[in-house]
Amino acid sequence: MNRHPWLLVAASVLVTLGLVHTMGCGATRSARSLAAEKVYVAPGELDKYYGFLSGGQSGSVFVIGVPSGRLIREIPIFEPRAAYGYAVHENDPRRQLLLATGALWGDTHHPMLSETKGIPDGKYLFINDLANARVARVRLDYFEADRIVKIPNLQGAHGIAVVSPDTHLLVVNGEFEQPTDGLVTNPAPYTSVVAFLDPESMEVKFQVRVDGNLDIADTSKDGRYSFSTVYNLEQGRDMGSMIQYDRDAVAAIDIPAAEKAVAAGKGHVRNGVPILDPAENPGVLTLIPVPKNPHGVNVTPDGRYVIAAGKLSPTVTIIDAHTLKIVAEPEVGLGPLHTTFDDRGNAFTSLFLDSQVVKWNIDKAVKGASDYIVDRINVHYNIGHLQAVGGDTMHPYGDYLLALNKLSKDQYLPVGPDMPENQELIDISGEKMKMLASFPTPPEPHDATFVPAALLKTITKQTYAPADDAVKAGQEKVVRTGPHAVTVDMTLIRSAYTPDSFQVKEGDQVTLRVTNVETIRDMIHGFALPDHNLNIALPPGYTKTITFDAGKPGVYWYYCTNFCSALHLEMRGRMLVQPKDSTVVLTDWHAAENVKGQTVPGVPSTGANK
Amino acid sequence: MTRERVLYLAAAALTAAALMLPLWSFSMSAPQYPDETLHLQVARGGIGGDVQEVETLQHYIGVRFPTNLPELAWATRGIVALTALLLAGAAVGRSAAARWFRVACATLFIVFLAGSAAVVQARLYEVGHVRDPHAPMRSVRDFTPPLVGPVKVGNFTVWSLPHFGGLALVGAAALAVAGARRRAA
Repeated sequence: MNRHPWLLVAASVLVTLGLVHTMGCGATRSARSLAAEKVYVAPGELDKYYGFLSGGQSGSVFVIGVPSGRLIREIPIFEPRAAYGYAVHENDPRRQLLLATGALWGDTHHPMLSETKGIPDGKYLFINDLANARVARVRLDYFEADRIVKIPNLQGAHGIAVVSPDTHLLVVNGEFEQPTDGLVTNPAPYTSVVAFLDPESMEVKFQVRVDGNLDIADTSKDGRYSFSTVYNLEQGRDMGSMIQYDRDAVAAIDIPAAEKAVAAGKGHVRNGVPILDPAENPGVLTLIPVPKNPHGVNVTPDGRYVIAAGKLSPTVTIIDAHTLKIVAEPEVGLGPLHTTFDDRGNAFTSLFLDSQVVKWNIDKAVKGASDYIVDRINVHYNIGHLQAVGGDTMHPYGDYLLALNKLSKDQYLPVGPDMPENQELIDISGEKMKMLASFPTPPEPHDATFVPAALLKTITKQTYAPADDAVKAGQEKVVRTGPHAVTVDMTLIRSAYTPDSFQVKEGDQVTLRVTNVETIRDMIHGFALPDHNLNIALPPGYTKTITFDAGKPGVYWYYCTNFCSALHLEMRGRMLVQPKDSTVVLTDWHAAENVKGQTVPGVPSTGANK
Repeated sequence: MTRERVLYLAAAALTAAALMLPLWSFSMSAPQYPDETLHLQVARGGIGGDVQEVETLQHYIGVRFPTNLPELAWATRGIVALTALLLAGAAVGRSAAARWFRVACATLFIVFLAGSAAVVQARLYEVGHVRDPHAPMRSVRDFTPPLVGPVKVGNFTVWSLPHFGGLALVGAAALAVAGARRRAA
């Protein structure tokens, strides 16, 4: 040993390195396990929150569970979805509504929950379609869009907000400025409007003109003001001229004052909607100067402050929500876009350029204390919106925050040039933020909002109550109602269509009224008809009526598209389309009666079953 | 009021109640019905509960849902008759003849219960054995649900249990027996 002291040294170094390595691994593993435990929801267990993510150019809403990040449902709204039988056939009224109000696609940005006393009541979710100036209302008992409306006099329906605390109105910002009379020949500078809708009738009650581009919206917690960030006060029509001024604004609209002016007939009615000109109605609109081209605007849960994010300026502007005076403008980092809140007086601002979430203390920032920044955490990458659970209510829940990142780059296995969007869940329950998990989504969630599972899971229904026009079992029929019209009343239940065949003629218009008479949850059936652009999805109790052309002569098997039962594959029937001039009376080749008196197609009976 | 009269009035009240209440119940559970066990209640008016779902499931294995149940009409007549006998048993007083009348009442009651049990058991056998030969799933074997207890049918575990009405009848029979016993001197 004495002859080889270097061996001893080398051995000690190796052992030390090994120990350090092992300990390091241990520490890393334990942090990973801690994070994993926070988001692990075992099979069969339920998430703590519903998360509603806008689908962006998917035109839908993604429903996820938090903290697991599991995708539970996609609610189709502005785009047809064959899988849900939504707006596919040209005679589907929902498709016709989409076409009548703009397009068969939408660009959804901001999901907003109806509120009672400043907290979600589980009644509605509102969402905008930026591209076609539409707003949809989703009923949260059935998770389906029940109203889609076009907003006149407005292009680029961007920021939306419900008027707190009781959803008195729905606020919709017009982003793309327009000639005041809508005429391309009008040489005057373009302007925009903020629209105010009744959340029940979805009727546009009035609009307020603003000379600039309206971006994000929020409201004071007492129902007094709506706040919209406005850029391009220059009223420029190209990018260079939109960024000339040092400051743009937060537009505060005094809602009671505006309603009074509208009631007094001060509005200029265009396309059926009174538009208030702020110049003629002093007090309705207040422009609060903030650094140019601001983006997000968010009101603190206690309703004291409005936080406008600087975007091009590394600051947020803190405005008193009652006096509308600026109280502070602290620096937070590069590219601040949106702000959300916990229940302990902290704000979290997304930093697009820094790819960070910055946590800062509101009181300290207002008082000008130097230590208002609490923490920063890296996100991946270029975060847009962020939302803490309940951060948009008067009582945030304070445990999780979702970062909605615009780029995912290296975060997932490469899947060709079109990469998924990256959502990251952050634990905000402690002083320091902790990254918990990430999950990808299709394009492209912009914003999110959350509802405690305990509230919504008691409200949501799992079967439809039979509608007035539901077909009852035993009342199925096929009736010729005209020389070129046939009505088919059909029911379906595991595992048969009744009737399991019907005859029509080439040139007929077939009106199918079909009811899923199942009463058990999740027993969804489909009615797919080959070569007729028809797939109807029928959750239990649901009735759908649709008229379609019989098409070319032939045998068309309608079949169940939603795997239902042991006889799912056998669950089908035939539409027999006879040639126009045929006089042949079709007789069936075989039909066996099953125990319920339904006829099921099958091979000739082989006799006894013993 | 004498002990016999109290017991027989109570027994009559229980049998009368059995006319209003479900007599027997079946609960069916399977893995894909979490927190939604299916229930059937047999009352004298017929079978209630998750009838549509049970019927829908039964057709896979060719079980015919019993819709025509003449024994229920007979059960009603029997219970009405028993109620009348029990009331008479309460009214007849304390003579030796009265006691024999009550003994007869209690005996009849027990015979009625035993007979009903036999009829129901036969019906349950029929449900599990007289099946549609054209049923989709011939692999599920014939079965006999016990009057009380579980049976495995395919992926379902089916429990048969007396419901309030059935328990009331058993209770009434016990009271009728107690009221017919010779009293200790």
